[in-house]
Amino acid sequence: MLIDRDRLMLVLDRAHTGPVCENFKWDTEVIPKTIATNLRKYELQNTCNPDNPINQDDELVDRYFQAAVDTAAEVGMLCLDTHRVIKFSHKEIKKALELAPSEFAIGEGDEVAVFRHRSFEDPTPPIWISPLSIAVDEDIFVPLLEGIARIPEVDCIEGPSFETIWGNKIRSGSPYELLAGKRQANLTYEALRRAGREGMGLYVVGTSPTHYGVLGGYGIPGGYKPERDIVLILSPVEMKTSYEALHKLCQVYNCGGGRVYGGSWSMIGGYAGGPEGVSLSSIATTLLLYATYQASNGASFPYDMRYMGNCGRKALWAQSIVFQALSRNTHICSNSVLNQVAGPATEMLLYESAVGMMNLAVSGVSSCTGTRSAGGKYTNYLTPLEIKFAGEVFKKTAGMSREQANDIANKLLPSYEGQLGNAPKGKSFLECYNQDTLQPSDEWLKIYETVKDKVIKAGIPL
Amino acid sequence: MNKDRLLKQLKTAISGEENVKVVAGIAERVVEGGINIKVAIDAASQAIRLVGDRFEAGEIFLPELMLAGEKMKCCMAILQPYLKMDEKSEVSGRIVIGTVSGDIHDIGKNLVATMLTMGGFEVFDLGVDIAPFDFINAAKEKGADIIALSSLMTTSLPYQQEVIDLLKEMGLREKYYVIIGGGSVTAEFASKAGADGWAGNAATAIKLCDALLNSGETPPVAKTFVGQKGGNVC
Repeated sequence: MLIDRDRLMLVLDRAHTGPVCENFKWDTEVIPKTIATNLRKYELQNTCNPDNPINQDDELVDRYFQAAVDTAAEVGMLCLDTHRVIKFSHKEIKKALELAPSEFAIGEGDEVAVFRHRSFEDPTPPIWISPLSIAVDEDIFVPLLEGIARIPEVDCIEGPSFETIWGNKIRSGSPYELLAGKRQANLTYEALRRAGREGMGLYVVGTSPTHYGVLGGYGIPGGYKPERDIVLILSPVEMKTSYEALHKLCQVYNCGGGRVYGGSWSMIGGYAGGPEGVSLSSIATTLLLYATYQASNGASFPYDMRYMGNCGRKALWAQSIVFQALSRNTHICSNSVLNQVAGPATEMLLYESAVGMMNLAVSGVSSCTGTRSAGGKYTNYLTPLEIKFAGEVFKKTAGMSREQANDIANKLLPSYEGQLGNAPKGKSFLECYNQDTLQPSDEWLKIYETVKDKVIKAGIPL
Repeated sequence: MNKDRLLKQLKTAISGEENVKVVAGIAERVVEGGINIKVAIDAASQAIRLVGDRFEAGEIFLPELMLAGEKMKCCMAILQPYLKMDEKSEVSGRIVIGTVSGDIHDIGKNLVATMLTMGGFEVFDLGVDIAPFDFINAAKEKGADIIALSSLMTTSLPYQQEVIDLLKEMGLREKYYVIIGGGSVTAEFASKAGADGWAGNAATAIKLCDALLNSGETPPVAKTFVGQKGGNVC
């Protein structure tokens, strides 16, 4: 599996020769009008049903998918650096989906993680990638990651990210990021060695969102390995790309790599509108991510602007539509990111995780990346225990029916949905974990056990 | 045309789906028709408040909000020069806004810029990936009162601090209030960085800017102003 040069050159060429569009026009006319037109054409308006946050209507998701193919072909990807649109025909979009793998692996030795396309209600255990690139102090990066890598449910590693490098603040787009690329690889390998899981596949480079981390850390001696790791290429918002993203793609090609994660998000309340528009936009963007970046894994996922998370009813519903549509109509290995807003050592974080992970497992994602503890806003607010809990739910709910999952979601949502706009910050790793033994505090463990009992009673088979 | 009908058209065009050109045409007809400009501006302000309320209620979304903001800007540019001297009110304040270096995320910044425009501020949106020097140069050039910095990523946060540090080193810190916000920015960080204000959402940003400009304090303020959910600033 390698990056195809002809497809890469076609994308680069179109980034310089495609139709011109100004950003403001794109945001206020092109995206909202195309989304609105296709919602009408496929009779998708007002289909969101928050009372049933996990969709069970197959015909509905098929209509969403068809509308998304049209949307992707009509809109294309705006390159922010050239203000030109990289357009793909219906035929090219379908071909890109055919060429995407239905199965691929990352990692090595005993730790190889095999990603497979999953249908919804599929008993195949999905892949759990942890943690997200939440910032932590440089000196706790290794012990924290060691604690996470020791969790058997965790299959691959992405984060965390560090705010400083050898004591200096990392600044986006600066030479510090170039150094951070290799530094993160080195620290990650050390954490995996301590956990006895050296071969785990890695998503790179979380600390550096621009291309500099990939240029400085991927495919270089001592850095991330193209033959076993996967490069994160993230678009800033739906249906947009940039030189940053395309630089990363070129580096994957240069290094003889072939595994790319294509990711983005679409906000409820943002450019695509409400949950229906965001579902459509997310599916269309996913098709474009696979066409533009030759992705092996990834997707664009819905997010709710009102509370900056996706564990509320509308966002859950939108995720179920997006991933069921991709599952039924493609063979890709889709990935979602679950975005909780409550912090560690709170019941709410675990309830958000239970409902969100179950939704993704039954809706057919191949993998998920998380958790975004405390919304990812606070340094060191990330612990292994919530990652373990989310992984347990994710694996154990594979094979559950959507109907049963929807019933359970409706039982659990009242435990936290009222607090989404004002979620508890919780406690940091330093406050609720023993740094030497890597064990949670009694208080945090008790919360975990209490919520685990409650979700088991609600029907999640942990 | 009947004056009341023209004013109604203006309100409908700003709050509805009409484009900027249509609003400009109506505003020009208002001027030509000899309608009291102050009354016309009040009508436009009512329309833009309605748009803000509809956005807050989740009835419309970011594109409609941004478009309404642009229409309001265009309308004011046409009407304001015709205000009688004694009717002219100073704008609430001038603000330069942008996403800091190394960060190309713009949803939050666009939302805040639009809300501030609708709140009566003159807003100069510099875009994304803006270097610290460029914020300061723009603030000087536009005669800004406030520099507003957005950042989504933890690795772009240091640039918010750098703008503040650079202002100090250039001897300009007392000239501009600096407010910061964005997905990764907390009130604690704002205080530590020495920012004058922080708000957790776009609606609160208006009250935050009003509070700073009416505080009587010269920047930097003694204690960072925090815009809380529900609109209170403390």
